[in-house]
Amino acid sequence: MNTLKIIDVSTPRAWPPRVTAFSEPFWAALAAGKLTTTCCKRCNEAMFPPKPICPRCLSRQVEWQPVSPRGTLYSHTVVHIAPEIFAAEAPYAVGIIDLDGGLRIAMRVLGAPALLKVGQAGGVVCLRHPDGPYFAFLADDTEAAVR
Amino acid sequence: MSDARNRRGLEEVAIIGARAVPVGRIQTPAGAERDVVEHEILSRLVADTIDEAGVPRDAVGSMVFSEPHVYTRQKYFSTFMTAYLGMKCHGAVVEMLGNGMTGGLAFDRAADDIRLGRSTVALALGVNMETATSAAEHMNITVRATGDVDFHSPAGFTPISWYAMDATRYMHEYGATREDLAAVAVKNRRHAALNPLAQFRKPIDIPDVLAARMIVEPLTLLDVPPRGDGAVCIVLASESFARERGQPYVRVRGRGSYHEGVHQVSDRPNDMIAFDAAQRAGRLAYADAGVSAADISLAEIYAPCTIVEILAAEALGLLARGQGRRAAVDGASALGGRIPINTSGGCQSRGHPARLTPLYNLVELFQQLTGTAGERQVDGAELALMSCELGNYNAALVHILEGAR
Repeated sequence: MNTLKIIDVSTPRAWPPRVTAFSEPFWAALAAGKLTTTCCKRCNEAMFPPKPICPRCLSRQVEWQPVSPRGTLYSHTVVHIAPEIFAAEAPYAVGIIDLDGGLRIAMRVLGAPALLKVGQAGGVVCLRHPDGPYFAFLADDTEAAVR
Repeated sequence: MSDARNRRGLEEVAIIGARAVPVGRIQTPAGAERDVVEHEILSRLVADTIDEAGVPRDAVGSMVFSEPHVYTRQKYFSTFMTAYLGMKCHGAVVEMLGNGMTGGLAFDRAADDIRLGRSTVALALGVNMETATSAAEHMNITVRATGDVDFHSPAGFTPISWYAMDATRYMHEYGATREDLAAVAVKNRRHAALNPLAQFRKPIDIPDVLAARMIVEPLTLLDVPPRGDGAVCIVLASESFARERGQPYVRVRGRGSYHEGVHQVSDRPNDMIAFDAAQRAGRLAYADAGVSAADISLAEIYAPCTIVEILAAEALGLLARGQGRRAAVDGASALGGRIPINTSGGCQSRGHPARLTPLYNLVELFQQLTGTAGERQVDGAELALMSCELGNYNAALVHILEGAR
């Protein structure tokens, strides 16, 4: 149930994220279809993006934990005029997702933009590009329209 | 200086001069036969401004600049420019940078030098040149600014995409319509028509806004800021210096700031459109000034997009929560209304040379509070609020200004 749907994308990521010695477990798990982040061992709070310290108590004792990919759309928009880097992908939708586990994460939103509604349920998916993984939200009952 | 300061305590801060060049497309493209360069424009403006303020140049002790964009070829701009103008300073010679707050931070830093007695007169100034670079190329840089560069930027969040999501959420929660947002752009264009510094002055109506090219849903070209170049110079002084001149000036009555510890989006679900930083900075500024929102005659609010003006005005207590959508429609936020907002024409029509926008807002409030705003003059303008921000109003800097005539 916590495994991400994996969607193959034929093009490389337009703005590839850097992978660090610390963040590597996030990207490796994502490539394997798992959404994870760091959680503070002292205050037991998850955070996003993952960090080597807890932003609430500054503890350095953080551990990787799985995150349920289910959530709802808090808000969204469609970017028509895009940076040159993303021009080939425009128009594209982005949104803010409230995950069922309590985290709020902003990400690309797949599916037909005209069907998107605030409050819509859906799940985080893994985008498998030739150069590495990225993540996005796919609302239930919308067609994945991924180039 | 420091001995005098210890005897006197903190100085009251005044604004005694403010000038700007009209916002527009000023920057020349690479390879132009005749280039326009920043320091030539700004040096003339500084000379005009301190002449008009009647300040001997030797009195200027601080030069606080907004940092120019990367497109400005001259580096170490503050020290270069100070030398170009032949200024000798005991106080700060520095460039400030803080996203949309940049110009406001330059003003705040200059005010600190006056307050601490380090300078009797200080300049807050800058030049913003960017229009020779296309929006698509410019956004290659800004997409790295409004989010975590590795976790958010790969999704393609542009700066105004966050404001667009504010709009979507506000429409969902309060039933606001695209027409309500468009009314802000129409109102601001009416204000800009009366402002010689404004970039766009031709009247528009609501159907024009709705029919304009979609930029980031639900915001069209006329809901979002145009790109613009500009230059501004603000002259600050100790109030005792200002008073001795015998001319109208503006007193800095109060100030508040707050950074909510969030960069664009909280990883904890919160009420994103409450603009908590604006609420907190506003409360601090009102308390510092000893006034309330109801005492404010007019406001210049840093609001790149129409929706931001509504949400910030609500957060600052100038409009009721959820009712801000009506203010431009029913005229409450227009010239002649209960609380005129962005009489300059705002970011959409006065223009948005981003590194300078708060300083342009100060030019407007200086004119309003000294009774020199001409056709835009707000009757009985006594107390004004200025707010600037960064991110998705994740930080806010609020000043309360008072006319002294």
